[in-house]
Amino acid sequence: MVMTRTEAEDVLFHEAELLDAWELMDWAAMYTPDSLYEVTSPACADPYGADAANTLFLISDKYDRITGRAKRLMKKTAHAEYPHSKTRHMVSNVRVTGGEGDETKCRANFAVFRTKEDNSTIYMGEAFFTIAGSGTDARILHKRCVLDLNSLYNQGRLTIIL
Amino acid sequence: MALYDRDPASLVVADPAKGSFRVHRDAYRSAEVFEREKELIFGKCWLYLGHDSELAKKGDFHARRVGGRDIIFNRDKNGAVGAHYNTCTHRAAKVCRERTGNARTFTCPYHGWVFNSEGKLASQNAKTGYHDDINADGHLDLRSVERLEEYRGFWFVNFNPKAISLYDYLDNARDAIDALMDQTEAKQVILSGEHTYSINANYKLLCENSYDGYHLFPVHASYFDFLRDQLEGTPAAALIDQTLADYTTMGAVRALGNGHAILDSYVPTGRPVAQWLPSFGPEVKPEIEGKYARLVERFGEERANYIATTQKNLVIFPNLVINDILSVTVRIIEPESENRIRVTAWAMGPTDESDTLRAMRLDNFVSFLGPAGFGSPDDIEMLELCQTAASHTPVEWSEISKGFGKSEDPCHASGAPDDEIQMQAYWTMWDRVMNGKIKLEVE
Repeated sequence: MVMTRTEAEDVLFHEAELLDAWELMDWAAMYTPDSLYEVTSPACADPYGADAANTLFLISDKYDRITGRAKRLMKKTAHAEYPHSKTRHMVSNVRVTGGEGDETKCRANFAVFRTKEDNSTIYMGEAFFTIAGSGTDARILHKRCVLDLNSLYNQGRLTIIL
Repeated sequence: MALYDRDPASLVVADPAKGSFRVHRDAYRSAEVFEREKELIFGKCWLYLGHDSELAKKGDFHARRVGGRDIIFNRDKNGAVGAHYNTCTHRAAKVCRERTGNARTFTCPYHGWVFNSEGKLASQNAKTGYHDDINADGHLDLRSVERLEEYRGFWFVNFNPKAISLYDYLDNARDAIDALMDQTEAKQVILSGEHTYSINANYKLLCENSYDGYHLFPVHASYFDFLRDQLEGTPAAALIDQTLADYTTMGAVRALGNGHAILDSYVPTGRPVAQWLPSFGPEVKPEIEGKYARLVERFGEERANYIATTQKNLVIFPNLVINDILSVTVRIIEPESENRIRVTAWAMGPTDESDTLRAMRLDNFVSFLGPAGFGSPDDIEMLELCQTAASHTPVEWSEISKGFGKSEDPCHASGAPDDEIQMQAYWTMWDRVMNGKIKLEVE
């Protein structure tokens, strides 16, 4: 069953909650061995159609790097996120755009606030999801984040998960 | 401002007999030193502008800031590469407001002056008021950068009209560039996409970090953990720890003249040209092994082995990094002040690789490199820690002595991969240029 908007929001809000709580292994568990988590480069000419196979992305994680990213970020030796920054994921304007069977396609606007030491920055943009199932069984098959940025000049780096 | 006033001549102090090489931290934290660097280093050294492959078609352009100056890097309608200052000769407005594109002309948005792709003034957008011959001497054309030269497709600018040639300036770094460009009989090109980000640190801290073999294990422990996890259960699993144990005894850091230097090392990440590892998957094994065999045919076993299996981190003085490692990145470090830089990095790859290998090359890149990889962000954190601590403590000197004192001239020394020979070469050149001990000019 394709999810309703409210059901899709429940999944996205749950993901945001896990990320803000730094429950990263639980976050990774929302993904499957076939999943893909992507963030296009702000310089990308066509971030919606781009393919990480021939264009440089910021992040293009298959499952091994999705879990690897979560695991790494929980270590003290992930220096860039030690001590952990504080984050707040705002997810809004959720729209179900399609899907079939038990898959739902949806898109959402996001603004993620990150505070590291005394500096706060914002990562803003739109995310495109393909989600299988619903409720607590929902699994994210594909998430592509497109930042409304031209560079990471103000943010410096992207070490949190969007 | 600096915490202490110092004689600039003594910011780099070396005592070979004691094996001591020290850099005063004002060289990283002083706004006054940075002002002098803008004139003496960035005003006189060759600075990387872009790669030939980024201007594939006539009319292609990129607007870039290099050494604090805004430059239009373009290919004109005749196919020639140009570098023009991005300012209208009328009343200064920027004439090119896009970062990249294709244009036959550049029109100033302020009063409508039009310049053609060669930079010549084509129209003042005025019927009256100007003498016909007002631009007879060409002073109203877009100003070309003083010098523009290329080596194997890498275009550099120099703001000193009397500068020595790029060829001479690159010195033995040419061989390192050759080792990269010779990977293919087709073309090495800049791939689609770029990483642009900032770091709150002095530009020289990133140069030092880019070919620092000493920092590898403390800073990148979590990356090696990830590699181990990936290879678990494969025949290559033991490779990581074996190679890491041998790290300091294989390879070298080598100074290449004029402050350039390279770290040649062995880290088991695999290389698209041309070292296959099980983590790459069996489908690309024949292609990678074929590339290796062809290198042997072209250059012989020894050179082929160097080209294909050595991880190379090259820094061209003062601010270009070319890392030919698990992927190839060309990275420029544009300083904005003594404590802030803008970094732009591109991926490079040969035109004759399969789609699968291309995808793997880019996947390797983002796995470690860039502002969201598993490696570079931890480096960046270290640089920011260095900058903030240097700026807010009174300690005067940084100790860059590891491996020092074995050579007459630090600019032509070599040492173990985890020595600091490369930084000693960099800082020796920096000291020579800053204090006029080397002119980098033709007589």
